[in-house]
Amino acid sequence: MNRRDYLRTATAVGLAGSVAGCTGLLDGDGNPNVTLGEPDREVDASSEDLPYPAWGQKVPDVSVPVPLEDRTVSLRSIDKASLVTFFYSHCNTVCPVLISAMRNIQTHSLNEGYADEVAFFPTTFDPARDDADRFRAYADEMNVDTDAGNWHFLRPESKDRAKAVVQEQFGVRFDRTEPEDMDMYMFAHSALTFLVNADGYVERAYRSKSPDADQIISDLEDIRT
Amino acid sequence: MNRRRALLALGGFGLTGASAWVLQNGVGETGDGLPIRVETMDAPGSSAGNARVPADGTVTVVDLFATWCAPCEEQMHALGTVREEYGDEVSMVSVTNERMGGSLTRGDVRDWWRDNDGEWTLGLDPASDLMSALGAGSIPHVAVFDAAGEVRWQEGGLTDAATLRTEIDRALREQ
Repeated sequence: MNRRDYLRTATAVGLAGSVAGCTGLLDGDGNPNVTLGEPDREVDASSEDLPYPAWGQKVPDVSVPVPLEDRTVSLRSIDKASLVTFFYSHCNTVCPVLISAMRNIQTHSLNEGYADEVAFFPTTFDPARDDADRFRAYADEMNVDTDAGNWHFLRPESKDRAKAVVQEQFGVRFDRTEPEDMDMYMFAHSALTFLVNADGYVERAYRSKSPDADQIISDLEDIRT
Repeated sequence: MNRRRALLALGGFGLTGASAWVLQNGVGETGDGLPIRVETMDAPGSSAGNARVPADGTVTVVDLFATWCAPCEEQMHALGTVREEYGDEVSMVSVTNERMGGSLTRGDVRDWWRDNDGEWTLGLDPASDLMSALGAGSIPHVAVFDAAGEVRWQEGGLTDAATLRTEIDRALREQ
């Protein structure tokens, strides 16, 4: 019996109140919505104290277009484990490392036969430049397999929408910069990658500019249904 | 101002610069778990099998790269120059942490290697073990080990040939 079936059963027969007394049966340190236990944090903070959706919290209730698939996805309605990160394709520093880590996890899912149990949602905060054509070229450059069916580039419709979704909802701050040595604008931004379970709850928020793909693969294995 | 934004403003956390090529993640614990063995590829200057990193008993230059990384192509020039100058006196290995599969094959890596005039050992590190052991938070990333297997110098970002020479000479002198 997997976690969700267990919870459904528990709820159905009115055991919810007693679950707290037997948390040993469940992972998640008593939080019934997540499988992974509370992460070790450097600072003594609860998820509510953090400026981004963290362990045990619901993924923001947002819908974002998927340009390469002519559809819009509602992040809460995804019914499989998913990874969400934020980037812009003209970025030379943090973003290719974030996307490369995600790409290596995608390849692991293809090689190990669980590609249909996980979905990847790299989300741009530069909709002015990142359109469908740009995504196609970027996927090619980064060796992302867009034919695998589990990789979905997301693109908020506008700059304002990007601020609303990426910064205000996901807590990934970004500010446009005009580097003197470049003839185009860039962004200063923070780096976050979210592991969301099939019920739409955040299992992990990895605050790293170079996420540990093996750690994520291991966490993913624990929460896959 | 909503709660999240207030917290963002308070924390102002983790903004990263955008104009440099490199992530300055800070090099973490170094040398943990070294030496390690990496799988090596059949390619110019390299043969299929595995290699100890760092090599045993010689100064070793380790280069971390990926085929999508434009500065890593530029890094190959400096490495090639140094390789010609030092020959077998120094062991050299370039390692990618890209996982083979999906739309990336060994043939693609081999093509990249040929296109960038690689002629030394080419290794694969799909679990990023070597990157972790070096505490590397970005690529390109170059490390110089002495003959005793200690990291003498390492840095993320593009390293020029002059710097490499200086660091290799130091490692050779002090071995």
